[in-house]
Amino acid sequence: MALHRLSFRLRQTVTHVRSLHTSGCGQQQQTLAVESESEPFSIIRTSENDPACQSEKHIGQYYTLPSATISTLFPHGLPWRYQQQVKTFNEACMMVRQPALEVISYLKKTDSSKPPLRYLFYGLNGSGKTMSLCHTVHFCYTQGWLVLHIPDAHLWVKNCKELLPSSYNSSRFDQPLQATEWLRNFRITNERFLSKIKTTQRYVWTKREFTEEGSLLRDLVDHGISRIKSSSDVVGALMKELRQQSGQPGSDFRLAVAVDGVNALWGRSTIKKANKSTVDPEELTLVYNLRKLMRNDWIGGAIITTLSQTGSLYTSKSDYLPQELLGERGFDSMDPFIPVSVPNYSEKEFESCYLYYIDRHWLQHPQSKY
Amino acid sequence: MSASISGLLKPWTPRVFLVRWSRYNPYYLDPEVRKEAYSVPETELSAEEKDQRELKALRPIKAATSGISSSVFNDPDISKFINMMMKHGNKILAREIMTETLENIKRKQVEKYHKAPQGNKETIECNPNTIFHKALENCKPVVGLASIKKGGRSYQVPIPLSDKRRRFLAMKWLITECRENRHRRTHMYEKLSQELLAASNDEGNVVKKKYEMHKMAESNRAYAHYRWW
Repeated sequence: MALHRLSFRLRQTVTHVRSLHTSGCGQQQQTLAVESESEPFSIIRTSENDPACQSEKHIGQYYTLPSATISTLFPHGLPWRYQQQVKTFNEACMMVRQPALEVISYLKKTDSSKPPLRYLFYGLNGSGKTMSLCHTVHFCYTQGWLVLHIPDAHLWVKNCKELLPSSYNSSRFDQPLQATEWLRNFRITNERFLSKIKTTQRYVWTKREFTEEGSLLRDLVDHGISRIKSSSDVVGALMKELRQQSGQPGSDFRLAVAVDGVNALWGRSTIKKANKSTVDPEELTLVYNLRKLMRNDWIGGAIITTLSQTGSLYTSKSDYLPQELLGERGFDSMDPFIPVSVPNYSEKEFESCYLYYIDRHWLQHPQSKY
Repeated sequence: MSASISGLLKPWTPRVFLVRWSRYNPYYLDPEVRKEAYSVPETELSAEEKDQRELKALRPIKAATSGISSSVFNDPDISKFINMMMKHGNKILAREIMTETLENIKRKQVEKYHKAPQGNKETIECNPNTIFHKALENCKPVVGLASIKKGGRSYQVPIPLSDKRRRFLAMKWLITECRENRHRRTHMYEKLSQELLAASNDEGNVVKKKYEMHKMAESNRAYAHYRWW
């Protein structure tokens, strides 16, 4: 059905071309064959690679992300299948869609002196919530914000190989491996800020190790990566510092907190303690500190989150609404937030995606090219 | 009461029909599943095809199996390969492995295509189905060997092979080679995609095995007259 309309859409562009080239019918026969092939590529691609300049007329078109940006900004944020696609097609193209554009337009108007607004992308499985989040994160990065991107909060509440009792608070548990990996990726993304921001407090990790007040954030992060045992506490300290310092008149950065799969923070976990009882997510240091970030008691930034059913534990496969996935506690903590629905592809977006795959030689069946 | 009496009056049919090893009467014809065969207009048919059509109008047709469909993606060679890969009736897993293999082949080829310089792009084949068929063609042996006993001794005698037998041998060699001669931790789709890409370029262990079979047949040419069929 959509393919049938696709041929009409191409025919319309061809007649549009015909009306422009009114000189000589003989020439048109030759130029038609060339233009009907080059036209689809300009329908689906846009040269507007800056998310700040994209608008409604670019909806359904693909813009290219430079590979340097991908390696710095998204060491851990993109979905696995998209990473495979980037490797296969030798380029990273993302589609401009309505939900991401809406959130970007709100972000452009944010006031740095007010508490952050919480945005929540929700929708059916596979409808593009993570990709919309990545698009928004790219916008924040190009605008010079500090991006705190947690790729998947579900990874912190399941499959934990090492669980240590926390040194700071004996009732909580540390996850050194997940914390160090996250710190490493954070360092890659935010190199330029780490040498500028200073800590406001003295942190004592063990009897002999401490971080002085006024030292750079880079030292804090390096300490967390080298000393695995205290990495979860380093993550907590980092979040606290950034929360306190963003939006202050002295500091010149705004904080964007991007969490994928935020329903994991208030769900259940499959990690077991030594006596085989389940760990509540609240008892994990990483989750506890992240929940503190989710509260809007700081200023100067935004919180952009996504729900996710695919990685979630003990949720039914048909759940996708915020009420169902966040649960009571989660909804009360996140309330008030701005829900943004991410629907499946519309007809125009589907056609755009189809033409993109044909352009990249991904659709190989002879009958796929009409 | 009336129900039981009317139940006795109808002609007797057995309650249980034995189906598992049942065989169709050779009178029944095979179904034609492909949509293209029916869209050909009357004028373009040759005389034999017209006769075939009239025959099909009169003879009974076998029921189509659940493994074939009239979709554009239905391929008899690939269906046979999936059946041969299947273990313990787990067709879902076998189909998954096959789709992953084809996707893997397509990914590798498309990546190679995009990285190649402009001049070489036309030579790179990206369609996984054509690569599969080409690999299968390259693995099919032309002659086979049969063990014939004469005068107390068994001789390996070169014999002609039917098309079906050749296709079977090619597929069997591909599957056993992938299952046995690789590292145990690699996935089947990875092993299969490597082997199929190598075979479509006339390299790899399976085409080597085919050539060895040909050499054995050539060396045993002298015994060819031992074959009596």
